[in-house]
Amino acid sequence: MSLKLTIGWLYPDLMSTYGDRGNIIVLEKRCAWRGIEVDVKPIDFSMSFDDLKNIDLYFGGGSQDWQQGILLQDLQKKGPTVKKMIDKGTPGLFVCGSPQLLGNYYQNIDGTRWEGLHILDLYTVHFGRKKPRCIGNTIIQLTADCFSDIPIRTVVGFENHGGRTYLGKSVQPFGRVIKGYGNNGEDGTEGAVYKNCIATYSHGPLLTKNPHIADFIIKNALEYKYNKDIQLSPLDDTLEWKAHEYCINRFS
Amino acid sequence: MDTLAVIVGKLISFLSKTLHIGAGATWPGEVALSISPDILSILLSIPKKGIIIVAGTNGKTTTTLMIDKILSDNGEKVIHNTSGANLKNGIVSSLLSAQDTDWGIFEVDENALPKIIKDVGNQNVILVLLNLFRDQLDRYGEVTAIGEKWRDIVETLSPKTKVIINADDPLLASIGKNKLTHTAFFGLGNRNYYIPHVQHATDSIYCPVCKTKLQYTGFYYSHLGDYSCQSCHFAHPKNTIIENDVQSPLEGVYNIYNTLAASAVSLATGISKIRIEQSLSTFTPAFGRMEEVVYKNKKVKILLSKNPTGFNESLRTVLSSSQKGPMMILLNDRIPDGTDVSWIWDVDFEQLHGYQYPIIVSGDRALDMGVRMKYVEVSNIQKKKQHFEIVNNLSEAIDKAVILTKKTETLWVLATYSAMLDVRKIVTGRKIL
Repeated sequence: MSLKLTIGWLYPDLMSTYGDRGNIIVLEKRCAWRGIEVDVKPIDFSMSFDDLKNIDLYFGGGSQDWQQGILLQDLQKKGPTVKKMIDKGTPGLFVCGSPQLLGNYYQNIDGTRWEGLHILDLYTVHFGRKKPRCIGNTIIQLTADCFSDIPIRTVVGFENHGGRTYLGKSVQPFGRVIKGYGNNGEDGTEGAVYKNCIATYSHGPLLTKNPHIADFIIKNALEYKYNKDIQLSPLDDTLEWKAHEYCINRFS
Repeated sequence: MDTLAVIVGKLISFLSKTLHIGAGATWPGEVALSISPDILSILLSIPKKGIIIVAGTNGKTTTTLMIDKILSDNGEKVIHNTSGANLKNGIVSSLLSAQDTDWGIFEVDENALPKIIKDVGNQNVILVLLNLFRDQLDRYGEVTAIGEKWRDIVETLSPKTKVIINADDPLLASIGKNKLTHTAFFGLGNRNYYIPHVQHATDSIYCPVCKTKLQYTGFYYSHLGDYSCQSCHFAHPKNTIIENDVQSPLEGVYNIYNTLAASAVSLATGISKIRIEQSLSTFTPAFGRMEEVVYKNKKVKILLSKNPTGFNESLRTVLSSSQKGPMMILLNDRIPDGTDVSWIWDVDFEQLHGYQYPIIVSGDRALDMGVRMKYVEVSNIQKKKQHFEIVNNLSEAIDKAVILTKKTETLWVLATYSAMLDVRKIVTGRKIL
């Protein structure tokens, strides 16, 4: 049986700030190399609710404030459908700023509160310009239960965020910070995992140097869609792991 | 205090140059500013005819160098922050060496522009806004935020200031539209330069007035193009000068923009079109900007490529050039390059699919760039041997690339800022900064 994944990419021309596209490229290629067909659909103003329901895997990147203002209203309309699907188990990867929108609320730099989509049990507060932005290379130790079968326990990335995020009870942290700030620079948590969704402040091309996470997401999405065990054929990831090791050695 | 600051500054400038110590491009200015923080406003009044300020993400250095050449060739005495020292200390340093000067020509950092404009006083000013693209978000912040700062500046300028704006950039065009007097717009105005597909790295394709998605009849690159808004009255302003009006001395569509901006400035100073063209016909590029050098008997062309849009245009230039040959892609992550290398995934390296010549990847983050090339599948999909190679050591990488370059070929070097300086040091045997 030939396998196929439809990836829904949230507002690609408004929410793709700094290399976020790398995640899509990696998912596409790693599927293509295994003969899995991939269709990437932009979730934007023109997408119908029927199309939205046919998404097998959600992806969201970061957005700049001005751009975020343009899409918020439309996203609010789509929110309940997306929430229903994610609650049932549709997988997703949300990097950089997108988890802030999926949370309970986001308190802006000027103190105003934006209602989130209430998909992820977390909230974010921007404490103003006096508190420095969290910027730099990151190393994370995977802690969420769903990763217990993965032998390689580290994730490398880069974060750049002004808001601080605090997790609620119904999500687990994605991992523990070894290097960097993580969710808030206080409690050592980084990102969040809810059902089959991963949220992380690691912006940009998270999956390029973390092939274990890329394959985890692909496998998860296929298993949820086809409702059976899927074994992905192994790929030669020597180069990706060298790049991963380089970051661990240089930044830890 | 001000006189003291000028004297001390000049002395340091002199010592730095004669004894080859310190960073001559910024150090004298730094000292002078510490003695007298307001020194810039005094110094800016020195040039007799006025000052020319060039701001933008890409093209500042080439544009100011073109203006320098055209004005100098036409008998004007100019000073110019040539080594790209485009913050306040660099501009003060440059002005400290002014003597009997007609024009000060300065490239100015995007974020430093407000501080510098604040000090121009009653001086005659020509301000050029070239473009705004995403570039080192960790350092510069968001494109729209910079655009808003610039809008505020333009609103407060003295009415006699001449503003020269890239009409193909919607955000900048919207800034100029409120300023009805003394604004000139340049744009390509030639459909032959439209790109077939919209690039991924665009920042301003939504209406800056009403936030509706703009309609484009065509894109020149990134969000530069011929556009209009269907839901409000915002539209591309009428170009005062277009591609057809003046011949660019350098390859690359982005250099046509630089040429247009420099020509518009020169016209504003009263130089005729014919004299501008004469002067540009003998223009040689700034260091690392389409700079050509011969190294070990091979022709090498160095293209600074520091952000997604710059890199896309460098690739387009190489692919459309009549000069063919191997390519080096060099990625560093030092402070001047930006410490975050995520942006390489916004570059459409997919253009290189099927590139006929060897590709060598090097720099501090050669592995990151290697992974990027792997996912482009530069050679083919059938998993044959990839024909890009990662060589971590830069000297070895250059030697290897030079050997792979045939006598009739050109070696193209696309490099981030600090990597470009490192390459120049190796191939020219000299250090510029």
